[in-house]
Amino acid sequence: MARVTLDALPGVPALLARAAAPSLRRPDADHAVLDRTVLVHGYRSEPERLAAYARVCGFTLRDALPATWLHVLTFPLQAWIMSRSDFPFALPGMVHLSNDMTLHRGVGGREPLTLEAGAMNLRPHTRGATVDLVGRALVDGELVWEGTSVYLAPGTSMPGEPVQGLRLDAPHVEPSQLWQLPADLGRQYARVSGDINPIHLSPLTARAFGQKRTIIHGMWTHARALAALEGRLPDSFRAEVQFTKPLSLPGSARFGASESDGGTGFVVTNPDASKPYLIGRLGRDAGR
Amino acid sequence: MGALETIYRTPVGRGLARRTGLADPPVLRRGRVLPSGPVALGELADGGVVRQALALLDVRVIDPIPDVPENRTRDDKGRDLPPAYQDSLGALVIDATGVREITHLEGVRALLRPAMKGLERSGRIIIVGMAASAVEGLEARAVAQALDGINRTVGRELRGGSTSNLLRLEAGTSADDLAASLWFLLQGRSAFVDGQTITVAPRKPGDPVGGTPDREHPFTGRVVVVTGAARGIGAAIARTFARDGATVVAVDVPASGDALARVANEIGGSALQLDITRPEAGARIAGHVVTRHGADTPIWAMVHNAGITRDKLLANLDEARWAAVLDVNLAAELRINEVLLDPGLPGGLADNSRIVGIASTSGIAGNKGQANYSASKAGVMGLVWAMKEELVGRPITVNAVAPGFIETEMTAAIPFAQREVFRRTNSLSQGGQPVDVAETIAWLCDPANGGVNGQVVRVCGQNLVGA
Amino acid sequence: MAAATVRTAVIVGGNRIPFAKVGGPYAPASNQDMLTAALDGLVARFGLAGQQLGEVAGGAVLKHTRDFNLTREAVLGSALSPHTPAVDLQQACGTGLEAVIYVANKIALGQITTGVAGGVDSASDAPIVVTEGLRRALLRANRAKRPLDRVKALASIRPRDLAPVPPAVVEARTGLSMGESQAITTRKWGITREAQDELAAASHTNLARAWSEGFFDDLVTPYLGVTRDTPLRPDTTAEKLAALRTVFGRGDDATMTAGNSTPLTDGAALVLLAEEGEARARNWPVLARLVDAEVGASDYVTGAEDLLLAPTHALPRLLARQGLTLADFDLVEVHEAFASTVLANLAAWEQAGLGVVDRTRLNVNGSSLAAGHPFAATGGRIVATLAKLLHDRGPGSKGLISICAAGGQGVTAILEAM
Repeated sequence: MARVTLDALPGVPALLARAAAPSLRRPDADHAVLDRTVLVHGYRSEPERLAAYARVCGFTLRDALPATWLHVLTFPLQAWIMSRSDFPFALPGMVHLSNDMTLHRGVGGREPLTLEAGAMNLRPHTRGATVDLVGRALVDGELVWEGTSVYLAPGTSMPGEPVQGLRLDAPHVEPSQLWQLPADLGRQYARVSGDINPIHLSPLTARAFGQKRTIIHGMWTHARALAALEGRLPDSFRAEVQFTKPLSLPGSARFGASESDGGTGFVVTNPDASKPYLIGRLGRDAGR
Repeated sequence: MGALETIYRTPVGRGLARRTGLADPPVLRRGRVLPSGPVALGELADGGVVRQALALLDVRVIDPIPDVPENRTRDDKGRDLPPAYQDSLGALVIDATGVREITHLEGVRALLRPAMKGLERSGRIIIVGMAASAVEGLEARAVAQALDGINRTVGRELRGGSTSNLLRLEAGTSADDLAASLWFLLQGRSAFVDGQTITVAPRKPGDPVGGTPDREHPFTGRVVVVTGAARGIGAAIARTFARDGATVVAVDVPASGDALARVANEIGGSALQLDITRPEAGARIAGHVVTRHGADTPIWAMVHNAGITRDKLLANLDEARWAAVLDVNLAAELRINEVLLDPGLPGGLADNSRIVGIASTSGIAGNKGQANYSASKAGVMGLVWAMKEELVGRPITVNAVAPGFIETEMTAAIPFAQREVFRRTNSLSQGGQPVDVAETIAWLCDPANGGVNGQVVRVCGQNLVGA
Repeated sequence: MAAATVRTAVIVGGNRIPFAKVGGPYAPASNQDMLTAALDGLVARFGLAGQQLGEVAGGAVLKHTRDFNLTREAVLGSALSPHTPAVDLQQACGTGLEAVIYVANKIALGQITTGVAGGVDSASDAPIVVTEGLRRALLRANRAKRPLDRVKALASIRPRDLAPVPPAVVEARTGLSMGESQAITTRKWGITREAQDELAAASHTNLARAWSEGFFDDLVTPYLGVTRDTPLRPDTTAEKLAALRTVFGRGDDATMTAGNSTPLTDGAALVLLAEEGEARARNWPVLARLVDAEVGASDYVTGAEDLLLAPTHALPRLLARQGLTLADFDLVEVHEAFASTVLANLAAWEQAGLGVVDRTRLNVNGSSLAAGHPFAATGGRIVATLAKLLHDRGPGSKGLISICAAGGQGVTAILEAM
C-alpha cells in the first residue's frame, strides 16, 4: 500500500544527503514512489520558527499563516519522497521550474494540520523530464492549502512528446522595489525552511554542485514576492510562479506588480529589469 | 483524521475506491452561474406563471420534447426509444400548476423521461406545482402531494451533480414572488439543495421589492448581521453576503476576535466581539449597527448561525453540556430576536426584513450522542413556524436552513467511517461545502424573495437522514 | 492658519492586543507585528478596511534602528488604505498618551478629521546593541583610508567591548534603574509595604472583574492565541503579595516587590479619534472628548525631586487652566509603574494642595500592575478604557489621566464623556 504515515516531519539533512547519493539511483526501476503519499498528522506551527521565517521573507507575524509557509511545512515530506531509492532522479542538478499554490482559506497559526506530499506526473520535457511534487494541508479533513512544484531533471531522456510547462508573461510594469540580498541569505532561509541544498549555502558548496555562485532558494523569492503584496492578499487565492533564472547571492533584485482584471501579475528582475528571475500571477481560488 | 480516511483521501486511495465502485463524486456547479445548456419549459394544463417568471429573469426557454409515441424512434431491433435532446439540457422546468387530476401526471412523466439522460452535469429539474391547500377537491390535493413523490425520486435517480426540486405555490402567488426562487434553483448557488419541496406564497403587504434592479448585488446598501462569523459556515455566509453587496456585521465570541477581524477586514465589514448568550447581546448588536451605520439604517437580515456541539450519549450527558448547547443554539436566538424585533429600536430589524436560523438534519431525524444539539435544532425549526404566525402582520420573513453533511471543522469531530457514510448517503455522493449553506441563506434573505416564509430548507444533497 | 475655531476631538473607541509578560507568547513578535495586529483589530471593529484616515500616530520606547518608520510600516501592513499617513513619536512611557494628544491637537486645529493614536512595546524583542567601544572602533575602521589604519582601529577593540549590551531602562543621567529610583521615592514619601500590596491586589481584582464582565469585549482583539492579559492574577490578595521578597531598595525597610511593581510586558494599544462632527456624520460612537492636556517635568538629576513624580508639576497647571479640582473628577487613572509611584503621586498632590483622590474612583478597572505595561502601549490602553468608563457613566462625567515617564516627565490629560 502506497501510503506512509510518519510520526513527525522528518529531518531534512539526512534525507537530502541520501537523495544526493547517485549510487542508490536506479532510473530504470519501477517508480513505485510515484504511487505513494507520505503524510503527518497533528502538526502545529512552532511560533518561533514561523516568526523567524516571517522575518527572513518579510511577512508580518499574524495569526494567519503565510501561504508559502505551508509549502515549507510540506517540504520535508517532499524531501522524503525524493530521497527514496525508487525516486527516478538524483537530487543534485534538479531544477525547480515552477510552483502553483492555492490557499483555500486563511489558516490560523494554532490549527492542527495534516500535511501530505506525493510525487506524480512524470513526463518528458524538452530539456529532460519533469516530475510534480504535490503538497497538501488539511484541517480536520478540509483541504485548506495545496501546492504543486514542478522539478526538471535536465538531460534525462524519457520517451514521449515533451509537455509544455507553465509559461507566464511578465507584466509590463516599472519595478517599484529594490531588494538587497545579503551573502548569507541562503543560509538564513535554509535555517527557517529546512531546505539545505548546498547550492544555496555558500560559494564553495554551490561550486561543488555545479553552480558558479550561491543562489537563493526559488521559494524564498516566491515568499518575498507575496510578502511584498501582503496588504493586498485576500483570504484565499491562487499564486502561480515560474522560476525563470537563478538569482545569485549576494545580489540585488527588483520587484514590480500590476493589477488587472484577471488578478495581479508580478515579476522579480535583475537591477536593470532586463532579466526576470521570477514571474508570478496571483488570482482567485478556483475551488477545491 | 483517522488512518482509514487518510488512505481514502490519497490519490491512490481514491483510485482504489473507484475500482471498488465508490466513484469520485461529481464536481458541482456553484455560484451565480446559470446552466450552460438550454432551459426547457414544459407547461401542463393551465400554467403560465412559470413562463412569466422566467421572462422576468430574462431566461430564454426552448420547447421540451415529451416522451409521446410520435416522438419515439426505434432501434435496429425494432424496440421503442424515447426521444432525446440534441444538445444536453441545462434545465427542465415543469409548470404543473394546472395539474389537478391523476391522469395529468402522465404529462409530468412524459416530460421527465427524456430529460433524465438528457441533462448536462449539474443540470436542474424544477417542478412547479400548487400547494394542496391552494386547490379544491380530494383528487387535486392528492395530485399536489404526488408531485412531491415524483420530485424526491427524480432527485435520487439523477446523476452527475444534477438536482431536482419542487416549488409549491400558495394561492395567488405571482411571477414576481416566484422569480427569486427559480433564479436560485437554476443557478449554481443551489448546488447542494436537492429533492426538496419549498412552498412559495404571495409576499406580504409591505414587502415591496419585486424583480430587483441589481439581481447580482441584491443587498447593496443593506446591513446583514451574521453570528458565528469567524470561521466555517459563518465565514462563508459573511463572504457570500458581501459578494452580493451587503454591509456585513460579523459577530463571534471575543476569544475568536483575531479570526473574526480577518474575515471582517477581508470583506470590508465590521467585527463585533460578543458572547451572544449575554443578556445584553441584542442591545449590543443594535448599538453596534447604530454606531457604524446610523440609526436610520436598520438591520435588513439577521442570520443566527452561531452554534456549538457538546456531544455525549444521554447516559453520560450532564446539565452543563445540556444547558450550554441549548443556550447558544436556541435561547440566545430567541432573546436576540425579541430585542431586535422591537419596532422602535434604533439599529434593530427593519420593518421589512429577514430572519434566518440554522436547524440541522439532526434536529429533524435525531442523532446518537446529540440529544442536546437535536433539541436545540428542532427548537429552531419550531421557532420558525411559531414566528411565522407571530409576525403575520409584519413584512418580515423567518426561515431556517437545515444543513446535512457539510465539510467543516465542527463536523470533523465525527469519526471517519460515519462521516464517509454521511457523505455517500445522499444523492450527490458528497458532503456539502459551507458556501452551499451560505448561498441558500442569501436566497432566503434576498429582498426579491418575500414569498418564502416559515420554511425549513434542507441543504443536504437529499440525504437519507430524516428524509 | 485658516482654521479660526478650535474643534472638538473625541475618542471613538480603541483596540489593543492582550498584554503578555516578557518572554511569553509574543516573544517571537516584533513591534511592527504587534502594532499591525492592533491596527487590523481596530480597522475590523469600526469597518475601516480600505479607508484612508487622517493620520496614525504611534511609537515604541524600545526600538530597533530599522523601525525608524514603525507606525507607517504597520499602516502599510494593515487593512487600512496605503494612503493613510503615519508618524512615529516617542516620550518614554508617555508615548501613547502623547500620541493621543498629538492627534487630538491636529483634529482641534482642523488639520485632520480622523486619526489613530497609541503605541507598542516589546520587552522580549528589544534591541541588543554593541558596546560603545566596539561601535567607535568599527566606525573608525570604516572611515580608515589605509589598510594599516583599519587594522589599528580594529586592534583597539578589547574583549569587554565584544559583550552585547542588553537594553535596560536606566536613566542616562543618574544610572539608576526605574525601580531603584522609585525605591528612593518610596522611602522618602514613607509609602508602606502594606499600602503598596493593597493597591496591587486591587488592581488585579478590578481588572479580573472587568474581564469577566466582558468590559474588554470591544476593546481587545486576541493575538497569537492570547485572549486575556497574561500578567493578570485574578486570585491574588494583599496577603499573598505580602509573602513576596523585595527586589528594589536595600535593607530592612525595602518594600518594593515583583508583586507591587509592573512586570516587563509585550503589547500594543490604539485609540480611534475623530472630530466630533465627523464622528457623528459617520455614526461613530462618541465616547468622550479630550478636554485638555499638560506635560510636566521634574528636576530629578540632583535628587532634589523625584523621577516619577513629574505629574505633580503638570497637574496644578492643568487644573488651574480648567478651573477644576481633584474632587471634580468622577474617575482618575494613574499609571501604575509601581504601586508606590501611584501612592507617592497621590501624596505629593495632596501636599501641593490639589486635594485628595477618592480611592473608589481610582483605576476602577485595574491598571498596569495587573494588565502589564508595554511602555508606549499604556497610554492607549488607559485612554480607551477611561473613555468607555466615562461614557457608561453618562455625559459630563470627567476623568483624569496621569502617566509618569522616564526622564522625569509626567503627562496628564482630562477626558469628558459626551
